Amino acid sequence: MTKRNLFFHALFISSLLPFLVSVPWAQTTEVRIADSKGDWGYPNPWRHYPRGPGYVRMSWVLDTLIWKDEKGMVPALARSWSYDQGRKAFVFQMEPHAKWHDGRPVTPEDVAFTLAYFKKYPYGWVVLEKVERAEATGPHQVTFFLKEPYAPFLEDVGGTMPILPKHVWEKVSDPKAYEDPEAYVGSGPFVFKDFDVAKGTYLYEAFHGYYQGRPKVERLVYVKAADPIAALCSGQADLASIEPEMRPLLEQRGMKVIEDKAGWVKKLMINHRMAPFDDRRFRQALVHAISQEEIIQKAHRGRGRPASYGLLSADHDLYNPATPKYAHDPGRARQILESMGFQRGTDGFYVKDGRPFRVELLASSITVAGQPSSDRDGEVIRHQLEAVGIRVDLRNMEQPTTDAKVKNWDFQLAVSGHGGIMGDPKILNEMISEEYAAGSVNSARFQANKELLDLLDAQLREMDPDRRKAMVYRIQEIFAQELPSICLYYPETLSAYNPNKGIRWFYTKGGISKGIPIPQNKLALIR
Amino acid sequence: MGKHSGLTRAKVGHLFTFGLAAWVLICLSYALPRLMPGDFVTAMFASSHVSLTQEQESQARDYFKREEGFATYLLRLLRLDWGRSYALSQPVSSLIFQALPWTMLLAGGAHLIASLLGFVIGVEAAWRRNSRTEKTLVGAMTFMEGVPEMALAVVILGLFAFQLHWFPTAGAQTPYAQLSLGGRLADMAHHLALPMTTLILSYFPGNFLLARNSMVMVLGEEFILTARAKGLPERRVRYHHAARNALLPVVTRFGLRLAFMVTGVVVVETIFSYPGLGTLLFNAIRSRDLPLIQGVVLFSSAAVLAVNLALELLYARIDPRAGHAY
Repeated sequence: MTKRNLFFHALFISSLLPFLVSVPWAQTTEVRIADSKGDWGYPNPWRHYPRGPGYVRMSWVLDTLIWKDEKGMVPALARSWSYDQGRKAFVFQMEPHAKWHDGRPVTPEDVAFTLAYFKKYPYGWVVLEKVERAEATGPHQVTFFLKEPYAPFLEDVGGTMPILPKHVWEKVSDPKAYEDPEAYVGSGPFVFKDFDVAKGTYLYEAFHGYYQGRPKVERLVYVKAADPIAALCSGQADLASIEPEMRPLLEQRGMKVIEDKAGWVKKLMINHRMAPFDDRRFRQALVHAISQEEIIQKAHRGRGRPASYGLLSADHDLYNPATPKYAHDPGRARQILESMGFQRGTDGFYVKDGRPFRVELLASSITVAGQPSSDRDGEVIRHQLEAVGIRVDLRNMEQPTTDAKVKNWDFQLAVSGHGGIMGDPKILNEMISEEYAAGSVNSARFQANKELLDLLDAQLREMDPDRRKAMVYRIQEIFAQELPSICLYYPETLSAYNPNKGIRWFYTKGGISKGIPIPQNKLALIR
Repeated sequence: MGKHSGLTRAKVGHLFTFGLAAWVLICLSYALPRLMPGDFVTAMFASSHVSLTQEQESQARDYFKREEGFATYLLRLLRLDWGRSYALSQPVSSLIFQALPWTMLLAGGAHLIASLLGFVIGVEAAWRRNSRTEKTLVGAMTFMEGVPEMALAVVILGLFAFQLHWFPTAGAQTPYAQLSLGGRLADMAHHLALPMTTLILSYFPGNFLLARNSMVMVLGEEFILTARAKGLPERRVRYHHAARNALLPVVTRFGLRLAFMVTGVVVVETIFSYPGLGTLLFNAIRSRDLPLIQGVVLFSSAAVLAVNLALELLYARIDPRAGHAY
């Protein structure tokens, strides 16, 4: 090569450099996510907090067989899957190129081991009582044998159970206390590097051998910020959950705002084990007295939608449009109360059996998708109930205190809320029946309607989508008639991100895993 | 001899009182967290996506209750074992010592600066009593003393971080920034500036007013007149004779404030997302993490006790008359 050629080659290559560094992947080597709490535990099944943000922090490290994107289920460690009705078995064809972070291949034996290990050392997120066993049935095939048909299997197990490396965990007999760095070896797109408990920060680094492709960023960092919006505006973070009223400001500053479907519901919990709340007529009087629209307008400046009394929103594939509705009708509420023997006192408030009738309403600030959310609903509900003549003692308490009182049935009415309502309709079982969620404070734990309980059991066993849909429809109807708890509204759930990073964050259809309404889907950093 | 043995007996008695107080604190650190309504399993799983069945709930409760007795707690303390956090599955002592340096840096630093500034400016103001500067300072500090820490923090954060973008809005350093040692120190100072300024502005007025008032009282004493009559230089009279005697209440305040720094900085730590013992305690209470709550409570009460003991020893050095209290 002559000196002149060398000169032109060098000139050509140096001219290309600016273009090379301006492509998105070259610019984006790090992404920062802001969170107001910071501390969600260590990212493995036994050490993360049992809340959505804790699971999401683990999901960067550990993959599942199936995952979800904005349209629904997509392959992950399993390339494909099918249900064998005769054998009551789910068969998964595994991804042959998947590797653990230490370079070893992910095998069907790892999957079978994971199931057996979780049966021995239970992990609350995965309910395995319907699964008999799992076997490696081929070099890249694993089969799960069920004890009985179980419709939520794909979401509950396939899409939620993190697959563990057998060579790490087979020697561990106390997983809760296992602190070795190997406890974070996974097959996910990022390698866990650090969690600073004091600062509430996390560091992950890209796993270059990831079977779905190299992640778009080299480092993923979680930063703790009391006000995630400020962190976003000041450039300290690239993605954060936001309050709806901040939307115009953030859009003005060039942020991209994304909105989730109704994956979270605010509810009025009712102690239906004590009189007069145990009478369905009284609960129906309450629902006529409460205006969902007014709560949304007055307490949330219109940022939300009235909830279906059957729990599932119109965004859900199995929402029943014929679910009973109750108009805001104070007159009807009074009529019902008076038919039950309540009498108006001279002060306009009801008396029962000659004594003033009062109810206690508990309210507290609630964490929504990992962010604390102040509560003004209690005040509006108190006003609405007093408008029909029910005297209300409103008590604002710290959330764990309210939760403890609800859990122990030491309450009358309480404002509460939960997510997960965009996922599998198994959420109906958990939010209605004590058998599925005795430990939950959001569950109505209502056992008084046999048809409802039978349907809840049956819908889990029904593998035919159409027949299951009919059952889920009927469950919503009965739930809305019985009203063991009253669904109030679905708040707007928004996040904002910096689009200049070259990453398009999105909300997952049905929520991550079991319905987590957080837009931190690992696929946003892969595809 | 008799006087000496009496003194020793008094000191032993004094130490015994401290020991008794330590015992009460140990009992309280165990009992108080357990008087709170709610428990760890309910707090952790209440609003979780995990819906526990009756059996799972009982198993979880049993797991976390297995080493909960008071006797176990005492035996562990004797072995200097503070237990493990339920939520983080880590030794409580390690969590406390990870958070402590940040609290010391923020709260300790702010106390020290605010006390020194308050003392010096208070002394100077008292020396210039009735001047326009002194009157303005007293008026301004009386007003500042009434401004809540939270309001101050919000204003400072809003102005210097949100509006002017001069300082970061949260944290103690840019997480995982790849910086040189000098760069890291500068980054830490940059993050420390706003929370520390808030605390200094919050503590300074009280220190100033206390030092100024104490100095004004001392300046009226006869020995100051004597010192002046002896023709001593003004600076020597001001600091060696007067200020030294005005120091005692300022030291007391410094000690007490320092002892309460764990709980005293919760608000500022929370608003600026600054790490520290306050944040650790706040999160532990929210999740009803009993071993961690009792650990932080015991640590901070032990700090109160230790500071009180240290103050008594310091008093004797600053003012020999205090030594005769025994």
